[in-house]
Parts: sequence; C-alpha cells; structure tokens
Amino acid sequence: MKSFWQNTWKHRAHVILALPVFLVLFFIMYVPMGGLVLAFKTFDYSKGIWASPWCGLDNFKFLIASKSTFITMTRNTILYYIVFTSIGTFLNVVLAIAIDQLFFKRAGKIMQTIMIIPVFVSYAAVQFIVYAFLSTDTGILNNTFGMTTRFYTNASLWPYILTIVKIWKDTGYGSVLYMSVLAGIDSELYEAAEIDGAGRWKRILHITLPSMVPMITVMLLLSVGNVMRSDTGLFYQITRDSGILYPTTQVIDSYVLHAIFSSSNFGFTAATSFFQSIVGLLMMLFANWMVRKIQPENALF
Amino acid sequence: MAKINKNADIAPSRHEKKTFGQYILLLILLIVTILMAAPIYLTIVAAFTDETYIVQNGFKFFPGKWSLNGMHAVLRYGKQLGTSYGVTIFVTLVGTALGLLIMSMFAYSISRKDFRMSKFLSVFLLIPMLFNGGQLSGYIVFTNYYHLKDSLLLLIFPLCVSTMNVIILRTYIVNSIPDELMEAAKIDGAGEYRTFFQITLPLLKPSLAAVGFMMATAYWNDWQNALLYIDSNSKKPLQLLLVKIQKSIAFLLSNSNVPASARAALGGTIPQYSATMATVLVVIGPIMIAYPFFQKYFIKGLTVGSVKG
Repeated sequence: MKSFWQNTWKHRAHVILALPVFLVLFFIMYVPMGGLVLAFKTFDYSKGIWASPWCGLDNFKFLIASKSTFITMTRNTILYYIVFTSIGTFLNVVLAIAIDQLFFKRAGKIMQTIMIIPVFVSYAAVQFIVYAFLSTDTGILNNTFGMTTRFYTNASLWPYILTIVKIWKDTGYGSVLYMSVLAGIDSELYEAAEIDGAGRWKRILHITLPSMVPMITVMLLLSVGNVMRSDTGLFYQITRDSGILYPTTQVIDSYVLHAIFSSSNFGFTAATSFFQSIVGLLMMLFANWMVRKIQPENALF
Repeated sequence: MAKINKNADIAPSRHEKKTFGQYILLLILLIVTILMAAPIYLTIVAAFTDETYIVQNGFKFFPGKWSLNGMHAVLRYGKQLGTSYGVTIFVTLVGTALGLLIMSMFAYSISRKDFRMSKFLSVFLLIPMLFNGGQLSGYIVFTNYYHLKDSLLLLIFPLCVSTMNVIILRTYIVNSIPDELMEAAKIDGAGEYRTFFQITLPLLKPSLAAVGFMMATAYWNDWQNALLYIDSNSKKPLQLLLVKIQKSIAFLLSNSNVPASARAALGGTIPQYSATMATVLVVIGPIMIAYPFFQKYFIKGLTVGSVKG
C-alpha cells in the first residue's frame, strides 16, 4: 500500500491532469446515482432526497398496479429497440456493401456525404420537417396521394412513422463504421476468388459478409446494454408528446421527461427510473460478458 | 517494382467491372440518396415559399410561388434569435474546448504505464457507462442541491465528458503517439505538464478534430437539457427556441423582445409555416455547412473509436 501512495506522489502531475474529468464525472454522473434511492421514498420537495420519508417498496407496488402505463412503456421501449436495431443493422450493412461495391467511387463518396447529413439535424428540427410531411391539411403525404389521414391522432401508424424517421436519420451515419471494415479487406482475397471463378454475389456472400460478422456481433452486443434507453428526441419531439399517441409511442425515457415537466407522481417515476437503471446495468454486464467470450479484444472491460 | 506491376494488373480488371449491374446499383443508390436528401431539400424550399401558397396548397417540393417573407419573419424575431444564436455558439465553443482539454488530460494520465492509480481511474470512468441515476434524479440533484436551475453550466457540463470520447482519445494516445517521444521530452528536461501540452496535445490533433466535431454537434443539437433547465429568454439556445416555437408560435409574438409594432404588423396572419421552416433552416444550417469540412476527421475518429486498444 505504501508503494501505491509513493507511486501516486511520484505521479502527482498525472493526478492533477486527471482531476477535472474526475470532478465532472463525480458531480454530474455519480452524485445523481444516489438519487435512485428515491425509488424507495415518498419524495417531498421541501425536504429533499435524503430527508424524505422511506416507503419501502410502495412505489414498486404502484408500478405493478398501474399495469397499463408501466407495461406499455416497457413493451414499447423493448420493441422499438428490437425493430430499430435489427432493421438498422441490416440497412447499415447493405448500404455499406452497396457503396463499397460501386465502381463509381467519387459518386459513392458524394452520396455517402449526403446520406450522413440527417444525423446532424436535431430532433427539435426534424419534428417540423416530419410535420410538413404528415400535417393533415398542408402535409405532403395527404396532398400528394389525396388522403385526409389524421396522422397525429392515429396511434397505430406511429410505429411505422418512427421507424422511417429513425432509418432516415441514422442509416447513412451507421454505415460509416461498416465501410471502414470493408476498406480493410485484403483485395487479394477478391482477386483469388475471381480467378477461381466466383461471381460478384458469391464473393459478397463468401468474403464480404463473413469479414463483417465480427463487427456486427460486437455492435449488436454492445447495443444490448442500451435496450432500456431510447432516442428520447424521437419519441418526445417527433410525436409532439401527444397523449393520444402514447399507447404506441411512449417509452421509458420520454415518460420520465414528461413526468419531470408535469411534476407528477415522482414516486412512480423514480421506481421506473430505478427499474431502467438496474435492467440497463444487467444488460450491459451481460453484453460485455458475451463479447468477452466471443471477442475478448473488443470487450469494454 | 513488384508492387507497381501488381497495381497495373488490377487496373484493367477493375475496368471490366463497369458492367450493366454497376449502372443499376448506381441508379438505386441515387434514388436512395435523393429520398434521404428530400426532407432537407423540402426544408430549404419551404423556407422560401409564400405563406398563403402553403396554406392553400400545402407543402410542395416545387412550389408555385416563392417569397422571402419567411426569412423576413425570422429576422423579425430579431433580438431573441440573435441572443439564442449567441448562447448556442457560446455553449458549443466553451463546452467543446473545455471537454477536449480535460478529456485529453485524463486520457493522457490513464495511459501512463507505471501510474498505478490509472487502474482505479479507468474503472471510475467506465462505471457511468454501465449505470446511471437517470433523468429524474439528475434533475432533482442539479436543481435542488446544486441550485443551477436556469444556469448555462447545465448546458455545458452534462455533455462535457463522455466515457466513449475519453476511450477514443486514450486509444489514439496509446496506438499512435510513441512513448519514446514523451520519454525524450522528459530527458530533455520538460516537466509533465510541458510534455503533455507541447508534445502530446499537438500530436493528438486528428483525434481531437473527430471528437471535437462530434461534441460540437451534440452541443449544437442539445434540446433536452435546455428544455429541462433553462427558463429565461437571455439563456435560451437555438434548439429550445425551436421547441418553444412548436409549443406555440404565439410564444414569439407575446415575447417581450418582439416590438409591439411588429406584433401588430403581423396581426392575424402569422407566417407560421414558411417562418418555422426558415427558422429550422437557420438552426441546422451551420452544422450542415461545417460538416463536409470535418467529414474526413470525423470518419477517422469513428473508426478509431470503434476498435478499443
């Protein structure tokens, strides 16, 4: 132990260099972790977190009693995660292969640049663009196809709308990572296959795809850790936080955000947050454990 | 020599590949690109479309009547838009610069080999990625305990440090900056701080550009912290302005910064469609213009970050 402190003293300059991030993490990330005890308390604003009275598992009883709200948002969170991740990964890979296979390299580059742009548009702004497409009277969809669909009051349409918006926003950006894997494939492999008489599709199937599998696996597994977290902006902004759409659009993150603004039912919200954090932690540990088994060099810890 | 010959071999076979299928692939990708670009294009077009035209015919990709009224309306918000621009630029610049500085300091520290505390610091860095208190406790702690409600600090610090970004920087230091360089500097009598600021930091530039651009985008696009914590008009960033416009365009008309005469002039005909689109355009414009210049770094950074060292 003594040598540890001697070592630390010797490296005091490094301690000082590390200090600012240490403090920011401590005050911004670590202190709020303590706030999770709220899940076991009846929150009283005037008393603060610590002085509020304990209430045991009452908040969780609420959670289970309120079946529909809690179960709906948990279900939505998980289903959207599954849909976004599966479709998203598939499209990222397909787009990366398509651009990589394209003979017209310069055109490919320019198209990729354009396709990445949406990721830089905030959801607060995307929301207006989506409105221009979906508005009942002035929306492009209704006008072009002569419909009078009231998109903003029809909950059953929103899983599709949100999926399309998400694909539009993230696909170009998501393919970049896979492009870099493709760039790393030894071109001699392709040549050898070509000499052996493998056609384009065969080469994609037997060389391109297998070489992408490791990256796909790692990305998928790491994303498992975020199953309980959603792209809040997508669910809060694009839907205009409209109550009518909640059955198909409310996820845990947007629920919590909404609850903070309406200052309603902090006990319920705290229990939800607690649930979200714990499940998130477990999924993250699980994901890392899996990556460690399959590809130790890509494990987070 | 052998290498050149090899390349010469590839060239003709590459030429052969320009088949019919290639043109089909090009066509499909072109269509996808156009579909992806369409919403952005629509934003630009709608911002310059005549308001009454939109009300009567709806949004159009090829409108019949152009007008600058939307843009004029944006300018009429005048002061508030200017203030919001100022806030966003300030937060983006300060946040990105501060974040890059302290994160590279931290990354440098934990990458020192015989620094035994680095193990603890790495774990300390990693835990927030696995577990966090969630939005609600963050909100209560920041407002009730730190009393930072309506403070720009809450726009800066929550986005300032991210575990992933520190890992990207650390990976770059470990893989791309030779230790010998730092050792040599020390032998030449440079202190720890001088070694970091004069040797490591300048060599870290490509990685800083990538991380910096991603951070700047996150700051520029952050609406959530603003919505949670910012109340006063003088501290409202652009994204919050957008959110508020959505809540009600009337907000702007009742805003004290809009002169009464202008409000009267607008009267009942609020140019809401073209004006909001013009605002959107003004908000997303800078990032879209800056991005192509950073694309090179940013793709590199993404790639480096994905492979942990």
